[in-house]
Amino acid sequence: MARKKVDDKSNCSGDSARNNDGDTSSNEEEPNFSDPDDYVDDISNEELLGDIIKQTPKETDGVESVIVVDGVPQVGPDRLEKLQSVINKFFSKFGNIVNTHYPTTEKGHTKGYIFLEYSLPIHAQEAVLATNNYKLDKQHTFLVNLFTDFSKYEKIPDNWKPPESQTYEGQSDLYSYLLEADAYDQFCVVTAQGQSVQIWQNTQPEPVVVEDRQNWTQTYVKWSPLGTFFTTFHKQGVALWGGPTFTQYKKFTHSAVQFIDFSPCEKYVTTYSPQGDVHNPDQKRIIIWDIRTGQEKRSFNPEGPSAWPIFRWSHDDKYFARMGTDVLSIYETPSFGLLEKKSLKLQGIRDFSWSPTDNVIAYWVAEDKDVPARVTLLEIPNRNEIRNKNLFNVADCKIHWQKSGDYLCVKVDRYSKVRKEKNEIKYSGMYFNFEIFHMREKEIPVDSVESKEPIQAFAWEPVGSKFAIIHGESPNISVSFYEVRVGQAPLLLKKLEKRACNHLFWSPNGQFIVLAGLGSNGGGSLEFVDTQDFVIMNTTDHYQASDVEWDPTGRYVVTAVSSWKTKVDTGYYMWSFQGKILKRVNLEKFVQLLWRPRCPTLLDDKQLKEIKKNLKKYYAQFESKDRMRQTKASKELIEKRATLMEKFSAYRQKRIQEWGEQKSRRLELRSGVDTDELDSDVQNAEEEVVEFFIKEEFIEIE
Amino acid sequence: MKPLILHGHERAITQIKYNREGDLLFSSSKDNKPNVWYSLNGERLGTFNGHQGAVWCIDIDWTSTRFLSGAGDNTLKLWDCETGKVIGSISTNSPVRACNFSYSGNMAVFATDKSMGHQCEIHIIDVRNADESLSKAPPILKIPVNGHRVSSLLWSSLDETLLTGHEKGEITQWDLQTGKKLSNVTEHDNTITDMQMSKDGTMFITSSKDHTAKLFDCDNLMLLKTYKTERPVNSAAISPILEHVVLGGGQDAMDVTTTSARIGKFDSRFFHLVFEEEFGRVKGHFGPINSVAFHPDGKSYSSGGEDGYVRVHNFDQSYFEYGFDY
Repeated sequence: MARKKVDDKSNCSGDSARNNDGDTSSNEEEPNFSDPDDYVDDISNEELLGDIIKQTPKETDGVESVIVVDGVPQVGPDRLEKLQSVINKFFSKFGNIVNTHYPTTEKGHTKGYIFLEYSLPIHAQEAVLATNNYKLDKQHTFLVNLFTDFSKYEKIPDNWKPPESQTYEGQSDLYSYLLEADAYDQFCVVTAQGQSVQIWQNTQPEPVVVEDRQNWTQTYVKWSPLGTFFTTFHKQGVALWGGPTFTQYKKFTHSAVQFIDFSPCEKYVTTYSPQGDVHNPDQKRIIIWDIRTGQEKRSFNPEGPSAWPIFRWSHDDKYFARMGTDVLSIYETPSFGLLEKKSLKLQGIRDFSWSPTDNVIAYWVAEDKDVPARVTLLEIPNRNEIRNKNLFNVADCKIHWQKSGDYLCVKVDRYSKVRKEKNEIKYSGMYFNFEIFHMREKEIPVDSVESKEPIQAFAWEPVGSKFAIIHGESPNISVSFYEVRVGQAPLLLKKLEKRACNHLFWSPNGQFIVLAGLGSNGGGSLEFVDTQDFVIMNTTDHYQASDVEWDPTGRYVVTAVSSWKTKVDTGYYMWSFQGKILKRVNLEKFVQLLWRPRCPTLLDDKQLKEIKKNLKKYYAQFESKDRMRQTKASKELIEKRATLMEKFSAYRQKRIQEWGEQKSRRLELRSGVDTDELDSDVQNAEEEVVEFFIKEEFIEIE
Repeated sequence: MKPLILHGHERAITQIKYNREGDLLFSSSKDNKPNVWYSLNGERLGTFNGHQGAVWCIDIDWTSTRFLSGAGDNTLKLWDCETGKVIGSISTNSPVRACNFSYSGNMAVFATDKSMGHQCEIHIIDVRNADESLSKAPPILKIPVNGHRVSSLLWSSLDETLLTGHEKGEITQWDLQTGKKLSNVTEHDNTITDMQMSKDGTMFITSSKDHTAKLFDCDNLMLLKTYKTERPVNSAAISPILEHVVLGGGQDAMDVTTTSARIGKFDSRFFHLVFEEEFGRVKGHFGPINSVAFHPDGKSYSSGGEDGYVRVHNFDQSYFEYGFDY
C-alpha cells in the first residue's frame, strides 16, 4: 500500500513537471518534447500499452488449430506420399488443412505421429471429437489430441483440486403425460396466429387447461410424431418444448423457417425455410438436426419446388431419401452420407414412399414411349427389387401404405385416350385401378380393383385390412368399403350411396370411420359409421367444418372450423366416436386444434389379448368412475349456482328494499296511482271486454 | 308454442314495445308507419301515419294515452294514442335514433344521430301540456354529445338521471339537474343496440353488437351479469316474473350473403338471469331479430325482425315448470 502511494506521488510530480514544460514553451519558441536529461521514465510499457501488448503475436499463436495424431502407420519414404493422401482425405472432411508435418527418423521413416494444422480452431476441435479412437485398420487406431492439450496438461498446477461435482439437473420427465392414470389425452388449441396457445387435458366431464401462454408461437404449432415434443415456430427458428410444464427442450436456429418434419423415432428433425434468409444468404434452406444434441447434422439447398416433406424417413430413422429428376438419393444415419456413396438412377421416377414398418421403398416411374409405367418395391440397404409391377396407360399413381405395413395400395389413374394440346397432355376416358400388394405373403401377390368412377378419396383402415374409397361424381357420390384377405381378391363389403362427403377419417384403432364433407362445398356434413356391421351411428353436421381430428386413442373426434378457412363461427366441436356431441366451443379467431400423439403401446399381443378378454371386468370399474365424476361435476355445478344465487339474492334484497323506500316518490310522479304491480291499481282499472273471432263453424240443419 | 305472426309492416321492424298493462303492442319499422296491435289476438288496432322516413324508435307513456316516435325524416312526433293524430312534431337536424318517456310521463327525451355534419344531441322536452306549439317550445335541457353517438337511452332514478348507450360500447349516466356526466363505464366493445329496464327499474340489460348482453345496476352502473352468444345481439329483455332474460339478434343482414338462415342464427335465446346459462331457443325469423319485449305479465314475449314480422309467443306450461337445480 505504501509503495503505491509513492507511485502515485511520483506520477503526480511527473505530470506537474511536464505541465511546467508546456508553460515555458508557450512563448513562440519551438516546443521541446524531449525529456529532461535527468528524467527517469517510471511508467512501464505494460502500464501504458498493456492492452496493445497483449495483442502482439506469439510464437504459439495458431496452435489451437493444430492437432496431433498418434497411431499413424510408420512408413518408409517410398510410401509416404500414399500415407499423406490417405491422411489428407480423411482429415480434410473437417476443414481446410493448411499445414502438415510428418516427423521422420534419420532414415526417413515416419515416427507414427503427425501434426496437422487447420485453418480454424473449430475445425480442429471437430476433428478431435470425430476421429479420436478411430480404427484405421487392425493395427492402427488414431489417438487424436489438440496441440494445446499438451501445454495444458504440462502445466498442471501443484495445488490442483478436482472440480467439485455438480448436482445433476436431469431433464424434466418428457413422458410424464403418459403416466396420467385415466389416460386422458392432451390437445392444443391455437387462436389468432399463436397469440394464444393453450394445452388442454381432455378430462371428463370437462376438459381442463394445463398450459396457457400468450404469443407462444408466431404461426402455428406441431406435435412430434410420438407426442414427446411440442414445436413452436418463430422468426429465428423453431423451439421444442416438453416435460410436465412444457419447458424449452431445444432451439433450432433457422430464420424464416416455415415447415418442419420429424423423423418417425424423433431422433432428427428437418427444418425448411423456403425463402431463405435475406440477411444471411449462406444459410441453407433445409437443415437436418439431431434433436437430442441440438446439432446441425446436414444441410441442403433443394432445387426447384417439390412436395413436402422433401426428405422422407424410413420408419426406424436409419435412412432418409429424397427424389430428384430421374434420381433417388438415399442417405444413412448417423453419418448423413449417401448410402453406398451414390444415388440411384431411376429414369422417370415420379413418386416414392417408405413402408411404415419396414425398410422398403415403393416408387413408381412414368411411362416412356414404349416402356410401360412401373411400380417397384425396393429393399434398403441392399437395394434388392423385391417386386415389380408393370402398368399401362398410366396418367398418375398414388402410393398408399397401410399403417401396419401389411398392404400397399397403388391407386392408378388410367386413360383410354391421350392427346397433346399446346404442350399439355390431356387424358380422356379415365378409369381407375387399385393395385393391392400383399406385403406379408410370399412373392408379394398383387390384386387389382377397378373403378370407372372418379375417386375422391382413399383410406386404409389403420389397424385391420379394410379400406374405404369415395367415388362418383356429385351428387351421386358413394362410399365403398373393401376388405383384403389372404390369397383372395379384395371383397366389396358395403356400398353406401348418395353421400355428401369428400373426406375419410378412420379411427386410429380402426373399425370406426367418419365420412366428412369438408370445405366450401362439403358444408360440414358428418357421418359416423361402424364398419363392423355398417351401422350408421349418427348423421349430423358441423357447418363449414374444415378439419376432423381423431384423438390418438380413438375415443373422441374433434371437428373444427379454422379461421384459416372462414371467418364466421370458428371453433371446435367434440364428439364421441359414436357421433354424440359432447361439447361445442365457439372461439373467435380459432385456427388450430391438435391432439397430442401417443407412443405405440408397450404391451405385447398377449397382454393386449388378456385385457380384451377381461374387458367385462373393467367395465364396472370405469362405469362407476364415470358416474362418480358425473355426480361430482353436477354437484360442483350446483354449488356454483347456489353461490351465484346467494350472492345475487343478497344484492337484490338490498335493491328491493331501496325500491320499497322510494314508493312515495313513485306515487308522487304518477299522480298517486300505484303502478308497481299490474293489478295494484284496482280502483282505476277498467275491464274491457273485447270480442274477437276465433273460428267459424257451419252446422247444417236438416 | 305456436306464435301469432303480425304481418302489417312492409319493411324491417325497428322496435317493439308493450304498454304498461300489456294489452297493446306497438311496433315501428323502416316503412314509416308505426302500428299498434292487440297483444292478445294480434289484431291490428291502427297505424300512426305521418312520418316520411324510417321510424327508428317508439315509446308509450304509462297511461297509454300518448305515443312517441322518432324517425329518419328528422322529426320526433308525439301522438294521441287513441285517435292516432299527431299532437306535436319537433324537427331536428338529423335522424332521431332513440326516444323515451320519463317515469312520470311529464317529460320525454330523444337523441339525434351524428350525421350530415351535425353533432349527436340529447334533448329533454316537457310534454305535460303538449300541443302544436311543441315544435317551437325550447327543450328543457339540451346536451351535446361530443364522443360517440347515442344508440340507446333510458330514464332512471325516477326522472333524475338518464342512461345512454353509445356506439362504441360506453354507457353514460347523466345528471339532469346539471346536464353533466355522472359516470361512465365501457363494458361493451361495440355498439349498444338496446337497453331495457327490469320491472322495478333497479337494473337494466344492454345488448350489443359485440355478441353479448349485459346486466347492470341502474345507480352505480355496476356490471352484474354477462350473457354470451356468437352473433351480434340487437335486443334483450328481462322477464318481469322469472329470472330469465331473452336475447334477440343474429348475423347482420348485410353480412348474410350466400348463407342459409341456419348459419345466421336468428333465434330468440333464453338465458337464466343469474347463472348466465342458455336454456332455450325459439326459431322462426328468417332475418336477424331487431327487437324483443316481454309482456308485462311475463306469460308471453314478442320479437320483431328484419324480415318485417312481429311474432307474439305465448309460453307453454313447460316453460313455467322448467327450473334450474341449485
